[in-house]
Amino acid sequence: MNLQELKNNRKILTEYSYEKKDLYRGYTDKTLYINISNNEVKVKDVSDRMKEKFIGGKGYGMRYLWDAVTPETRWDSEENEIIVAVGPVGGITQYPGSGKSLVCTISPMTDIPIDSNVGGYFGPYLKFSGFDALEIQGKAERDVVIIIDGKEKTVRIEEAPLEAVDGHILGEQLTNMYGNSESEKRLVSVITAGTAAEHTRIGILNFTFYDLRRKTARMKQAGRGGIGTVFRNKKIKAVVVIAEEVKGNLNNAFDQGIINETGIKLHREMAHLDHLQNNMRKIGTANIIEVMDAYDLLPVHNFQYGSHPDTKKIESKVFIRDYCTQNMPDGCWYGCSVACSKAADNFELKTGPYKGHKVVVDGPEYENAAGVGANCGIFDPHAVLELNFYCDTYGIDTISYGTLTAFAMECYERGIINKEITGGLDLRFGNADASLALIHQMAKGEGFGLIAGQGVHRMKKHFVENYGADAAFLEDIGAEQKGLEYSQYMSKESLAQQGGYGLTNKGPQHDEAWLIFMDMINNQIPTFENKAEALHYFPMFRTWFGLLGLCKLPWNDIVPANNSETEEPAKIQEHVDNYHKLYYGITGTKIDSAEMIRQSERVYNFQRIFNIRMGKGLRKNDKTPYRTMGPVTKEEYLSRESNYEKQMIELGFDLTGKTVEEKIALLRKHRESQYEQLTDAVYKRRGWTMNGVPTPEKLKDLGMDLPELLEVIKPYL
Amino acid sequence: MLLNNRIFDHYRENMTIGDVIEVMRFTYPRLVVKVNGRLIQKSEYNSTILNENDDVKIHHLLAGG
Amino acid sequence: MKRLIKDESLCIGCGACEEKCSTAYFKENNREKSRIKVEKMEHWNRLTICTQCGVCAEVCPTLALKKDILGVVRLNKKECVGCFICVGFCPEDAMMQHDDYHEPFKCIACGLCTEVCPTGAIKIREF
Repeated sequence: MNLQELKNNRKILTEYSYEKKDLYRGYTDKTLYINISNNEVKVKDVSDRMKEKFIGGKGYGMRYLWDAVTPETRWDSEENEIIVAVGPVGGITQYPGSGKSLVCTISPMTDIPIDSNVGGYFGPYLKFSGFDALEIQGKAERDVVIIIDGKEKTVRIEEAPLEAVDGHILGEQLTNMYGNSESEKRLVSVITAGTAAEHTRIGILNFTFYDLRRKTARMKQAGRGGIGTVFRNKKIKAVVVIAEEVKGNLNNAFDQGIINETGIKLHREMAHLDHLQNNMRKIGTANIIEVMDAYDLLPVHNFQYGSHPDTKKIESKVFIRDYCTQNMPDGCWYGCSVACSKAADNFELKTGPYKGHKVVVDGPEYENAAGVGANCGIFDPHAVLELNFYCDTYGIDTISYGTLTAFAMECYERGIINKEITGGLDLRFGNADASLALIHQMAKGEGFGLIAGQGVHRMKKHFVENYGADAAFLEDIGAEQKGLEYSQYMSKESLAQQGGYGLTNKGPQHDEAWLIFMDMINNQIPTFENKAEALHYFPMFRTWFGLLGLCKLPWNDIVPANNSETEEPAKIQEHVDNYHKLYYGITGTKIDSAEMIRQSERVYNFQRIFNIRMGKGLRKNDKTPYRTMGPVTKEEYLSRESNYEKQMIELGFDLTGKTVEEKIALLRKHRESQYEQLTDAVYKRRGWTMNGVPTPEKLKDLGMDLPELLEVIKPYL
Repeated sequence: MLLNNRIFDHYRENMTIGDVIEVMRFTYPRLVVKVNGRLIQKSEYNSTILNENDDVKIHHLLAGG
Repeated sequence: MKRLIKDESLCIGCGACEEKCSTAYFKENNREKSRIKVEKMEHWNRLTICTQCGVCAEVCPTLALKKDILGVVRLNKKECVGCFICVGFCPEDAMMQHDDYHEPFKCIACGLCTEVCPTGAIKIREF
């Protein structure tokens, strides 16, 4: 379809002109509010108080979301918002990983706030167009596109009946519509979802960045928690931002020299050390597929096992050799020399509506390969990439898709569901065709795809209510908590990581803490107190990335040559110091590690209380399914029998004469009690009651004793 | 011999750091190795012979995907 | 193909090349703003020059660095976003940067420095 025809069918609902405020020390102190129910557009001022307490990014997102909703608000309520916010460091072009947008909404999966950290050009361009954040509230009557034009200084809402919905098509259409030349195309960034976001709860947002070498708009994903589902429910097809220009000084930093120096230092590390360390520039995060398999941490068959002989078929060198194009500066924002956004070019699709098309597939990232691959028993690299492509363009989360498909496959293999229920899909582990058929059903909104697309949490209920499944067993094997699917690491043998998943704000995602090696292999955090300290420090430290508009990878996927000689190598202090310098260079305010953690703690505790306000966020919501803590079934137990027996003997358990079932029960009792003790220790360290509620003293200490927070926690004290 | 504060079951005489890494199948590239508190460089892995009462730390530097 | 070549054994470290370069391009005698660099070492003088190898162009995210018809890598400032990846990745450390400017700068093999070099330590070679 030609662009003119698309344009001719547009209907302008609102056109709003604004005066652009330039950035000063990383902030415009203006945010953009758009209501698509009544087509109201306005610019809001950011108060000093908000800036001080919430910093930016996810902090701003949480604050605005709190103000927009009530405890009764659900994901599809009119007042629910989608907030895209950057942070004061976001948009600098010199330090790797500085282009992240943070997206918040009330999640259709968890009914609590979700936050997702995403690359692509949108966030920085929003800032350059004059806004530290964008709030979208309301629901449109018919499909709309929102255009934020930083060149013309206008915001338009237009009905857009003919545009595509699938991400890779729509991203390209709109990039071409608003960019007349290659140089202009790279000044356009588009947020889309995809057709499956309309029929499932696991919808994502795609954020584009224009790849000048491949001459195509590529996409990064705000993946977790169903934000794309909310987006399509609001009848938004896309949000477009057009930047006037990109230069290295647009943040109008306090001291650009500090930023330049710090950035160049990290570029040098990447140039000299990456090929000796993680090979991020060659293969991105997929470098750890074989590492996880070797350490028995790669989820296989719905988190039953940690490795598989066929992993070699999908290990990173296969993708390097046969699929991914090398030597491309694959950064999702300018200045990212980590360049993890690898892509397979000229990839010919074998199934679905785009069968026969040659496309650019982003990835594979580790989570994709582990989730849609190993966890579903699929060790076919082409299928992994094809599933990856369709997840992205259909607008669904590869992590949730992988985990929920693995769950459905285990239910199928165990006879809990059958072909009649799946509508003929033969959901055996390893059946790539069935997984592809399932994903196409999700896009069309039909068949078993509609049920599976609701996620593990709702599938469990559905199977129990309609097919008489054993509820307790499904609770055990369904890898979800708070309604969100687990991401793709085995936490069974690491108590600290069970907490790293379970004691989180948004649900079991590894972006707060990844402690498996520190705990299980290195044995650096043996006591509950040690683990609790790690489960305080790392989640707070990593929350900070989301306040500032940063990516986690340049922190620890490359390390300085002398890092191993430092006191605590896991913290990578030199890189932490880099962040202090960036913050100072941008804002002119010095911070140290303690202040950094305090900044995060304010927002982290705010989000925790937000969860409580929405009906979750207490101890009972932090419980985790036993599949992620230990062996549920006999097969799982026997696969690691000698390890489990050794552990129990060391603990002083008498195993003589015990059956396997009895041993499983014994181990379970022990592990569940360990998790409870860990929970106690972590809550204590975080300044929470034993019910997981932040105390008024803690809030006061953080300067967060806001009346609206105290009111929420009051009944629980 | 202690490996990461746990008794190392596979100790044999004249074992090197390289041997321990092999036995344990530590294939991850970013290791921090210390013997009795002394940092051992990668080039010394195969020449560093371990005694029965050594305190060996082989830390994997990976903190998340 | 055209580029600068060097013979460090002939260099006396006088710095005339740096002066010529920075004055020609930045109207300022400031070695921090020169596209060629001389450093006095204990027993010799190090010359940092661009070999026009093109690594900078490979890593540039905006295609602002490109080889011209003579094989000289040139920066299109309009397209440059000042990320300085090229500075960090240059195998010769010959991609220069100064905080007065938002873009890096590099040798374009103009040969001005060779004209002032008293010993012939640097020359323009056309291949």
